[in-house]
Amino acid sequence: MAIRATTDDLSFDGLPKATPPPVRDEAGDEPSVIEVRDLGIRYSLRLTKKNTLRHTFINMFTKKDGPKDFWALRNVSFDLVHGQSLAVIGPNGAGKSTLLMVLAGILTPSEGEVSVRGQISSLLTLGAGFDQELTGRDNILLAGAFLGLDHREVMERLEPIVEFADLGEFIDAPIKTYSSGMRARLGFSIATSVDPDVLLLDEVLATGDAIFRAKSKARILELVHSAKAIVLVTHDMGWVTEFCNRAMLIERGNVIMQGEPEEVVAVHLEHAEQTKREKLEQIRRYGGVAPKIR
Amino acid sequence: MASIPKASKAAAPAYRSSSKRRSGPGLVVDGFREVWGRRRLIRYLVQADMKKKGADTLLGNLWWVIDPLMLMAVYVILVTVITAKPQPDYPLFIFSAILPWKWFTATMGDAVGSVVGQERLIKQLHFPKLVLPVASVFSGVTSFAFGLIPLGALLIFFYSDRISPYLLLIPVIAFVQLVFSLGMATMVSAINVFYRDMGNAIRYLLRLWFYLSPALYSAQQLESLGVKNPTIAVIFNLNPFTILFESYRNVIYNGTPPLWGHLVGLLVISAGICCLATWMFKRVEPAFAKVL
Repeated sequence: MAIRATTDDLSFDGLPKATPPPVRDEAGDEPSVIEVRDLGIRYSLRLTKKNTLRHTFINMFTKKDGPKDFWALRNVSFDLVHGQSLAVIGPNGAGKSTLLMVLAGILTPSEGEVSVRGQISSLLTLGAGFDQELTGRDNILLAGAFLGLDHREVMERLEPIVEFADLGEFIDAPIKTYSSGMRARLGFSIATSVDPDVLLLDEVLATGDAIFRAKSKARILELVHSAKAIVLVTHDMGWVTEFCNRAMLIERGNVIMQGEPEEVVAVHLEHAEQTKREKLEQIRRYGGVAPKIR
Repeated sequence: MASIPKASKAAAPAYRSSSKRRSGPGLVVDGFREVWGRRRLIRYLVQADMKKKGADTLLGNLWWVIDPLMLMAVYVILVTVITAKPQPDYPLFIFSAILPWKWFTATMGDAVGSVVGQERLIKQLHFPKLVLPVASVFSGVTSFAFGLIPLGALLIFFYSDRISPYLLLIPVIAFVQLVFSLGMATMVSAINVFYRDMGNAIRYLLRLWFYLSPALYSAQQLESLGVKNPTIAVIFNLNPFTILFESYRNVIYNGTPPLWGHLVGLLVISAGICCLATWMFKRVEPAFAKVL
C-alpha cells in the first residue's frame, strides 16, 4: 500500500497486481513505456490573460500584487511499463487533463522530464483539425499529415477509415455539410485508425448515435487490449476498476495517491464525500446561499 | 535514467520533453528540420487554403487574376488625377510594384492569424507549429503566380515594345522576396499569439510601408527628396522593398537587369531574418498551447 504525499521515489515493486509488473532491476531490463520525472506545469497568469499591448504597458508600471504563477501540476513522477494501464482520477480542475496534454506532447514541462516510447494516440483529437471546405476524404489526408503519419500509411488506412465512419456519399462532400454526429464519427474513425503503443483517453467517448456508440466502444476495447500502455482520465469509476491495473489520484495538481485501482477509488470517493459534506455545511452556515466557489 | 539495452524491441523515444530548453542554434536547426519533415502537411494546407479562397465567390480563382488589375486601375486613376504628369506607360510602371506588393500584404495578412486560427488544434495535438506560417507564405505564392497572367496580358497587348529577356528573371527576384516573407511571416504569427494587437496594427503598418516604398513613384523621385530630408534617405536605404520594387521594375518596365548586388545582400539578410524568426518562434512555441 503506497500512499504518498510526495512523489520522490516511486517504485511499485511488491504491489499485488492483476498482471504482475515485470521485475525491474537497476540495469532496467524492461524499459518503461512512459516515464515521468518530477513533472511540473506552470501557467503564467500574466500571459494567459488575454493580452494587448495596453495591458503590458499598464502592468509594467503598476506592480500588481497577487500570484503570478499557477502550478497546474507539480512533483508528478511515475513509470508505466508494458501492459499497465493507469487511470487518473480526481475532482474537476485537479490537473488530470493537463497531464494527458503533457503526455501527448501538447504542453512542455516547466519542470522535470517526460518521455514516451512508441506511437502515441490520443483521442483528444476528435475532429479538431478539420477544414470545413475540404471533403471528408481530403480531411482524412490532412489529419494524417497533422498526426505525422507518412503518406503510405495514410493511404493504407484511408479505406478502413471511410468504411468505419460509414458516411456513404458524404465522404466526398465538404465537411461543412456534415451534421455534428457525422463529424464526430469521422473524427473518431481517424483518431482510432492508428494502432498505438500508448493510448491516451479522455472521456470523449459518447459520440454519435446508439449504433455508432456501441461500435466505438468495441473499437476502444480493441485498442485497449492491443495497446502497450494506457492512460485514462475519467469520472466513471466503473471504467477504472474494469480496465485499469493502476490508478492515480490527483488533487490540485499534486499526486495524492498511487496504487491499486480499488483502493485509490475508495480514497477518491471518500474525499469527494468529504468535500460534499463541507460544501453542504458551508451552505447551511450561510443560510442556504451557496458560497462563492474559489 | 536507466539505459535501454540495444536488443530491446522498444523503439526510440517517440516523444521526449523536458524543462531544459535547447540552445539557440539547436532550435533553429530543429525548426528547419520540422518544416522539411512536414512538407506534405504544408502542401495539404496550401491546397486547402486555395480551395477555400476560391469557393465562396462567384468568379472563384479568377479573382486572383482580376484583383491586381483592379488595384492597378484604382492607383492609375488616383495618381493621374493628383499629379498631372505621371511616368510614361504608368499602368505597367505601377503594376510591376503592385503585383509583388499584393503578394506580400496577402501573405502577411494570412500569416498573422495562421497560428491563432488553429487554436483548437494546437490545444489538442502535438505538431510543429512552424508549418502554419510557412504554409500561409506558400499559399501566397500561388496568388502571385496567377498575377503573372494579367502581367503577361498587359505586356503582350499594350506594351509589347517593353518585352525583354530580363522578364525571365522575375522568379529570381521573387525567390528573394519569398525568403524575406518567410522570416517576417514566422515572426508576426508568433507575436500575434501574445499580442493580438499585431493583427490590427499590421494592416496600417503595411499601408504606410507601401507609401514609403517606391511603388507609385520612382526611386529617383524618392532619392531626390532624400537629399533634402535625411529621414527619407534613411527609410529609402533601409527599406528592402526599395531593392525589390526597383529590381522588378527593371526587368518588367525598363528592360534592364535587376540590382544584382543589392539582391544578393537582401537574400543574405533575409536568410538571417529567417533564422532569427525561427529561433524566436521555437522559443515561444511551448507557450502557445497555454496562452491560446
